[in-house]
Amino acid sequence: MYSSSKPAETAKISVRAARPLEYYRKFLEKDVRPDGRELGEFRPTILNIGCISTAEGSALVKLGNTTVMCGIKAEFATPKTEEPSNGYLVPNVELSPLCSPMFRPGPPGEQAQVLSHFVNEVLNQSCCVRKEDLCIKTGKLVWVLYCDILCLDYDGNAPDACILSLLAALKSTMLPAVKYNEETEKPETDSVKTEPLHILSNPVSSTFAIFDDHLLFVDPTVQEESLATGTVTIVTNDNDLCLVQKPGGSPVTADQMNTCFERAFSRSKEVLRLIDEILHSIER
Amino acid sequence: MPTDSRRIAGPESSTNPYSFCTEKPRHDLLKNGKRQDGRKENNLRPIFLKAGVVSQARGSAYIEQNETKVICAVYGPREVVRKEDFSMKGLLTCEFKFAIFSCRERRQHQQDIEEKDYSVQLLEALEPAVCLDKFPKAQMNIYVTVLQNDGSALAAAITCASVAMADSGIEMYDLVAGCAVRVAGKNLLMDPCNQEEYKPEDETGLTNSGSVTVGLMPSLQQVSAISSKGEIEFELVKQAVAKCVDVCTQLYPVLQQALVKSVSERQNEEG
Amino acid sequence: MSNSSKRSNLRVMSAELSLLSRPDGSATLFQGDTCVMSAVYGPGEVRINKEQIDRATVEVIYKPRSGLPGCTEKSQERLIRNTCETVLLSSLHPRSSVSLTVQEMQNSGSLLACCINSMCLALLDSGMSMKCLVAAVHCVLDFEGAVFLDATDKEEKGAQACVTFVFDSVDKNVVMVHAVGKYSVEQFNKCMSVCRTASADIFHFYRETMTKKLKRS
Repeated sequence: MYSSSKPAETAKISVRAARPLEYYRKFLEKDVRPDGRELGEFRPTILNIGCISTAEGSALVKLGNTTVMCGIKAEFATPKTEEPSNGYLVPNVELSPLCSPMFRPGPPGEQAQVLSHFVNEVLNQSCCVRKEDLCIKTGKLVWVLYCDILCLDYDGNAPDACILSLLAALKSTMLPAVKYNEETEKPETDSVKTEPLHILSNPVSSTFAIFDDHLLFVDPTVQEESLATGTVTIVTNDNDLCLVQKPGGSPVTADQMNTCFERAFSRSKEVLRLIDEILHSIER
Repeated sequence: MPTDSRRIAGPESSTNPYSFCTEKPRHDLLKNGKRQDGRKENNLRPIFLKAGVVSQARGSAYIEQNETKVICAVYGPREVVRKEDFSMKGLLTCEFKFAIFSCRERRQHQQDIEEKDYSVQLLEALEPAVCLDKFPKAQMNIYVTVLQNDGSALAAAITCASVAMADSGIEMYDLVAGCAVRVAGKNLLMDPCNQEEYKPEDETGLTNSGSVTVGLMPSLQQVSAISSKGEIEFELVKQAVAKCVDVCTQLYPVLQQALVKSVSERQNEEG
Repeated sequence: MSNSSKRSNLRVMSAELSLLSRPDGSATLFQGDTCVMSAVYGPGEVRINKEQIDRATVEVIYKPRSGLPGCTEKSQERLIRNTCETVLLSSLHPRSSVSLTVQEMQNSGSLLACCINSMCLALLDSGMSMKCLVAAVHCVLDFEGAVFLDATDKEEKGAQACVTFVFDSVDKNVVMVHAVGKYSVEQFNKCMSVCRTASADIFHFYRETMTKKLKRS
C-alpha cells in the first residue's frame, strides 16, 4: 500500500510547489484549506505564560508553527518634563534571522519596523496599561516597561501572535515593590515583594487574508500570505474596536468588513478565555 | 549611544531596579558538600533537548537545562553573497545572541562584545565537525538565541547548535557536545548555574578561580574547543578538562536520542 | 447630534502638476494647510535583486519634513506603497521599477490622506496605466461620536479615533483603511459612509485638475 500511494504523494508535492495558486484554488472551491482548516478557523493556539523568570513578565505563543515570545523588562527612568507622572511603554518586535530565511541579520527590516509600529499603536490606543500607573514619584522616577517581542518561528500571521503574547505577558507582569526615599532621593527596591500590573482592557488581534480578490480567510500561513491579494487586520478592545488596518490590496465591500468584525469579536472571546485558563492554572 | 531610528525609542537612559536592592549576603558556593540548588559537585542539571523546532529552518534544536534555555536554527546551504567570501570549501557563519530579556540586566539589541566573542567560540567549536568540502561555494548560517541565561550558556549553545546542524542533514564527522565547569579553589562544580559562574569583577580571594568550557566530539574522542577564564593552575585545568570530556561522553546518547526522535517524527508526518 | 456630522465638507484643495522637471510625473497637493509633494520616476531600470519577472517593482520613499524616518514613517510608507501597487497596472512593465518619492511639506492634519491623494495625482501626471483612481479621506470621531471630516491636527489631538479610508473610483470599495482609537462597529461604518460620500469630491477634483492641465498644453 505504501508503494502505491507514493507516486500520488509525489505528484501532490510537485503541484503544490510548482503551481501553488492552482493548488489552493482546488481546495478553496470546497471551502477548505490544504492544512484541513475551514476558512474561518485559526490554527491551534498554544500559550505558555511566565516561561522566562529573568523577565518581569513573559509569554510564549504558538499559532500553528508560528512561535513568538514576549519578555517584559522593567527599569527606572526619569519622566519627560511635559508628562511628569507618565511612565514609558517601549514595544519592539524582532524578526530575527533565526525565525525564517526571509530575514537577514542586521538592523530591523521594513516588516519588523511596521510590526513594531503596529504593536506600539495598539498598546497606546487601547490604553490597556495606564501610563499614570507606572509612576513611582511624580517628576522624579517612573517605570519603563520594555516589551520585547521575539519571533522564533515565522509561519505567517505575526501581528496576531505578537498582540496575544504581549497581552499575556503584561497580565503576568509582576513589578518589584519600590519605595522612594525622600531624603536620599533614591529608590529602594524590595527584592522579594512584587506587585501585579493593572490591565484595564484586552486588545486582541485577528488577521484576514484576501484570496483571488473576493475570498476571505483568517490566520494566514506564510504561504497563504505570499499568495494573498491583500490582508485585513482588526484589533478588538473588549467590546470596541481599537485598530482596523487594511494596507492596500484588493478592495473589499462594507459587508465583507462586517463579516470580519464578527469573526474578530468571537476570536477575542476565544483568546481571552484561553488566557484566563492559563493564568488560573498557574495560580493553582 | 546613538538613537536607533528603526526601533521604538524609550527614554534616554534607564537603570536596573535590582541595583537599588539592599545588599544581600553572599552565598557560599558549597555548603556541606552541597551546592545552592542542592546538587552535588559532579551533578548536572536535567537536560531537555529537542530537534526540529523551527518549521522554516533547514535544521533546528532547543535545549533546556533548568533555567538555561537556548534555541538554534540552521539555514543553507545558500549562495555566498560577497565575492570575497568565495571558497571551494563551504563557509560556516555563526551568530550568537542573548535575547533582550534573557538576563537579570537588560541586554541591548545590537550584538555586544561578549556575544561576538561567543559567536566566534561557537563557530570554532563546530567547524571541525562539519564536512565543509561537501558544499563548496556555499554558506551555512547558524543562528543561536539564548532565551534565558542561567549559566553555562556557551556549553548549551554548542550542544544545541551541533544537534541543529545534524538535524539539517548536512554531513558531519561527528556531533559536538559542550560542557562547562566552574573552578573554585580545589572544587570543580560541573554545569554551573548563573550564581556559580565565574565573574571577573567578583573578588573571591581564591587563588584558583575561573571556569572552563569544553566542546567534545564524542565518537572521535577529540576536543574541538577549550576556553578557560580566570586564573587556574595547570594541573587543575587538566583535571577540569578531563571531567568535562567525561561528562560530554555521557551526554552523547542524549544528543543521539533527540535526533532519532526528530527523524522518526518527520517520517510519521510524511506517511 | 450624533446623527449629523460636525463638518461634512473637505477643506479647500489645490494642486500643481509637473512642478518638477526631472521626474516623469509630479504633483504638489494642498488640502487646507497640509501640503505634500510627490514625484514618480519610471518605468525604469530595476536593481537585479529586486527584479520581478511578471511585473514592475514599486518602490516608495516617504520623507518626513524633518529628521530621519523611523518606524512610524516606515509604516506610512508601506501603506502608500501597497495602495500604489493596487492601482498601478504593474504587469504592463515587467522587470522594471517604478519609484515614488513622497515628501511631507507641511502637516496640519489628514497627512496620510494627503500623501495618497498626491501620489495618485503624480501617477496621473506621469501618464502610467492604472486600474482605477483612488481617493483618500480622513476623518476623526470626537468623544460625543460626531464625525469631523478632513480633520486638522488640533482636532486629531482631541479625538477618540482617527480614521483614513481609501476608495477606488469604480465601485467605491475600500482599498485601504487605517483606523486607530476606540470606536464601535457602528461608528466605524458611519465614518465609512461619510468618507465614501466625500470621496466623490476628490474624484471630481482630480478631473478638474487634469482638465486644466490638458487645456494648457
